[in-house]
Amino acid sequence: MPPTASKTPNGLLHGALDALILKTLTRGPSHGYAVARFIEETTADAFLIEDGSLYPALYRLERKGWVEAEWGMSELGRRAKLYRLTDAGREQLAAEVATWKKFSAGVSKVFAT
Amino acid sequence: MKRSLRSWLWRVPLDQEFDEEIALHLEMRTRELIDNGMEPAAARAQAIKRMGDVKRLKQTCVDLGRKRDREMSITLWLEELREDIKFAFRQLRAAPAFSLVATLTLALGIGANSAIFALVDATLLRPLPYGDAGQLVTIWEKSSATARGFASPPNMLDWQSRSRTFAAIAGYTPSMGSMVMSGRDGNALTVSRQWVTSGIFDVLGVKPIAGRTFSSEDEAQRRRGVVISEGLWDTRFDRDPSIVGSELKLDGELWPVVGVMPRDFEILGRTSMWAMRPFPPNMPPRARGAYQLQVVGRMKPGVAVEAAQADLAVVAEGLAREYPGYNKGRTVTVEPLHDTMVGSDLKTTSMLFLGVVGFVLLICCANVANLLLARATARARELAVRSALGAGRRRIIRQLLTESVVLSILGGLLGIGIGAAILQVTPLLIPDGLLPASVTLAFDIRIVAFCAIAALIVGMVFGIAPAFRATAVSATEAMGADSRTTVGSGGRVRSLLVMGEVATAVLLLFGAGLLLRTLIAVQSYDRGYRADNVLTMLVDPLGSAYPPPFKQQQFYDQVEAEVRAVPGVADVGWSSGLPLGESVFGEYPFNYEVVGDAPLDPARKPITAYQIVSSTYFSTLELPIVAGRAFDARDVMGSPRVLIVNEAFARTLAPRNPIGLQVSVKPVDSPDDKPVTLEIVGVAKQVKQRPDESADYVQMYTPLLQDPIGDIHLLVKSNTGRAEALTAAVRAAISRIDKQQLVGVSGVTTLENVEWIATGRHRFRAVMVGAFAALAVVLAMVGVFGILAYSVQQRTRDFGVRRALGATSKDVLNLVVRDALKVIAIGAGIGLIASAMLGRMIVSMLFGVQPLDLATFAVVTVVLSLTTALSMAGPALRAARIDPAMALRSK
Repeated sequence: MPPTASKTPNGLLHGALDALILKTLTRGPSHGYAVARFIEETTADAFLIEDGSLYPALYRLERKGWVEAEWGMSELGRRAKLYRLTDAGREQLAAEVATWKKFSAGVSKVFAT
Repeated sequence: MKRSLRSWLWRVPLDQEFDEEIALHLEMRTRELIDNGMEPAAARAQAIKRMGDVKRLKQTCVDLGRKRDREMSITLWLEELREDIKFAFRQLRAAPAFSLVATLTLALGIGANSAIFALVDATLLRPLPYGDAGQLVTIWEKSSATARGFASPPNMLDWQSRSRTFAAIAGYTPSMGSMVMSGRDGNALTVSRQWVTSGIFDVLGVKPIAGRTFSSEDEAQRRRGVVISEGLWDTRFDRDPSIVGSELKLDGELWPVVGVMPRDFEILGRTSMWAMRPFPPNMPPRARGAYQLQVVGRMKPGVAVEAAQADLAVVAEGLAREYPGYNKGRTVTVEPLHDTMVGSDLKTTSMLFLGVVGFVLLICCANVANLLLARATARARELAVRSALGAGRRRIIRQLLTESVVLSILGGLLGIGIGAAILQVTPLLIPDGLLPASVTLAFDIRIVAFCAIAALIVGMVFGIAPAFRATAVSATEAMGADSRTTVGSGGRVRSLLVMGEVATAVLLLFGAGLLLRTLIAVQSYDRGYRADNVLTMLVDPLGSAYPPPFKQQQFYDQVEAEVRAVPGVADVGWSSGLPLGESVFGEYPFNYEVVGDAPLDPARKPITAYQIVSSTYFSTLELPIVAGRAFDARDVMGSPRVLIVNEAFARTLAPRNPIGLQVSVKPVDSPDDKPVTLEIVGVAKQVKQRPDESADYVQMYTPLLQDPIGDIHLLVKSNTGRAEALTAAVRAAISRIDKQQLVGVSGVTTLENVEWIATGRHRFRAVMVGAFAALAVVLAMVGVFGILAYSVQQRTRDFGVRRALGATSKDVLNLVVRDALKVIAIGAGIGLIASAMLGRMIVSMLFGVQPLDLATFAVVTVVLSLTTALSMAGPALRAARIDPAMALRSK
């Protein structure tokens, strides 16, 4: 059984997941599994999400117009639903990153004392 | 476009989309775990476990997806609408001539309709300005003579006490009287006054703005009192609140003012004050026959008119049994007060105008539809390209409809302006008395709303046919074809539209013709007297200063002598009423019977109109005495009472010679009075009382010297021409006699003006319908011109070929004109048939002309021929002048 998500503060999780998904999609359109894998790999499993929670997040982002879906091909040669970052999504990501930087810089200062 | 791609092109159901997505995820996760060394079965289980509760997940995601799709389709729709509107404006700017003509046409149609809607709204749609006005009804006494007769006071009181469906019942006298009011500054003023019973203000539910209204106690104790109007309060008393409780000197007696009524409170007609006429419960039995009150009732909440009618009918039956002398055969008619106030004349006039402007609007629509069709043909290629690029037919139709609605909204905006302008002008045209006093024409938010709705509907109506027409051509057909060959497609629709326009224009022209003939008939009809050059004014000497009969008569004689001495005065006469004007006595105030004849049932006695005149009246109006003599110096106070009757009166006495007969006369509304016996000394020529009366009306004249009256019209005939020029001199002459300023002078006008007002409603109808018919004809001309010019342009090459092959310009001309004439002839034929059928609908507004008037048919045909010839001339000549060489070279 891999470590659980309790490693990260729960309140941050929700907004952070959205931001992570958006960040992932900057590399190009990908399907849900690929998004999940990328997050696992880049955060070195530090940010472990339940696979199930990824999809409502994707649907939510699509409703907000930050990502859009289209049909493409998966690595298995099957039809796959691919998510792509929209311009609005890119702007949203930039805003979230800026907020995060401010927040973490503040927290770091506190820890540095 | 991209975001919409998924929902518009792929159209995978949401739950299937989700299932596929999750299946792929699980499969890839399982593979990953197997690659990491897990057993396939365990790997699969692990993957499913990591996914969590799939069922709940699916619900969440599908729900989110649905919301997204719905929001997206709305956004998409709005986006498309915005683009369509932008595109529509671009299209309109690209064709400024078309846009201008179309917008103006629509503005005219919508503007005319909005103005007429204002009239209809004010008269037919809006409730009366009284609280819970739906419960107010008029109660008439119904007899064999009339379904709408006035009521006698005791009957009214019994209706009130015996009915169960009414909260309250009250009455008032229908005609205004007047009183001389002595002002605080010593100047006498004639003020109009209406008699009312104490409950009238409560029945109508109107509160006074100062003081109170009459109470039942006032009535029981027979207290005197008046309620004055806000208008009088303003003009005479500067809104002084202390007027309430003070006393006014009216006709020489003191009347306390109990309250002030707001300006918009009117019963029937405008008046300055309401005076209470008390009716005690124990009136003499003969009061049952005094039909003098117009009665208004307020039905209890929830009671319908039918129920009130049934209730009162039972009460009336009982009264007929108890008082057979006056009430036998009499029952009641209950009708909504709104119907009484608006009147059938105004209702039919409003409906007439509404129908007429409706037709005008249809013509406008047809014209714009025609323009759009012509444009759609020209735009066939553009539309084909769009459809080839993937736009569906529905999408293109929506785009075209957006264009037409944009056009009609522009037209509607301009139409609001035109409507407001028309409403500025119409009050000048609306004759006095056509609109009830409680009705005012206003351009308000309801009219604007009407314009908006009309614009939207109109945009759809004229846009839908061209839009379907334009998109019916297949893409390959339109693109492959040369623009020249796509001509015929819209041609038949366009011809039908023009045919309809011509038919409608003919119909309106015919209606206008009939109304115009009616106006001419009422204006040129022989009235029996000469109205030109007669000045008239109402003279009202204060009763206490000039007590009748002697002082009063002396005053009249002095004024007459003084006025006769004014240069330019040919003759001077006195009369209690004016021909074609209102009579202070009501329409038929007297019953009469020949002395010595067997007595008649009181309800069946003949009635007569009544006019008091000086002996000079007949010469002043050049009204001939056809038998016997005019009044003269013999007919004075104390000598035998005499009268002169008119020809219709004389006919009721035939075969007896009327001269010398003794007639007994009694007021209809006060049977208590003793009958007066008079001898007929002469027969005067018939005079019209209403310009459009269909039956001659029965009238009697009595001499002023034997029948004094303190409220009389002075008639001054000028021998120089314009009678108005005498006004100042005549008023000065009166002032020289009335040194104390105790005589009210009002209503200064000419007899010609009285006639003008009396024929007002006919003029109003003729002018309005005539103007709309003219508009319709012009619009139809534009339609004919448009279709012809277009077809000539499209067939230039065809004509060129014909010319090259030897056809003369006359042949070409024939070709062009023949088609157009066919359309016009069929349209006109349909119009004439429709006129023949619809003419009957306005028969109640006609006078002196039949609805199937041949002369009008002929004139309409001539007018139509001339106007169509005019509109065809340009295009036809152009076709005839086509140069074959040029035509063939052109594309």
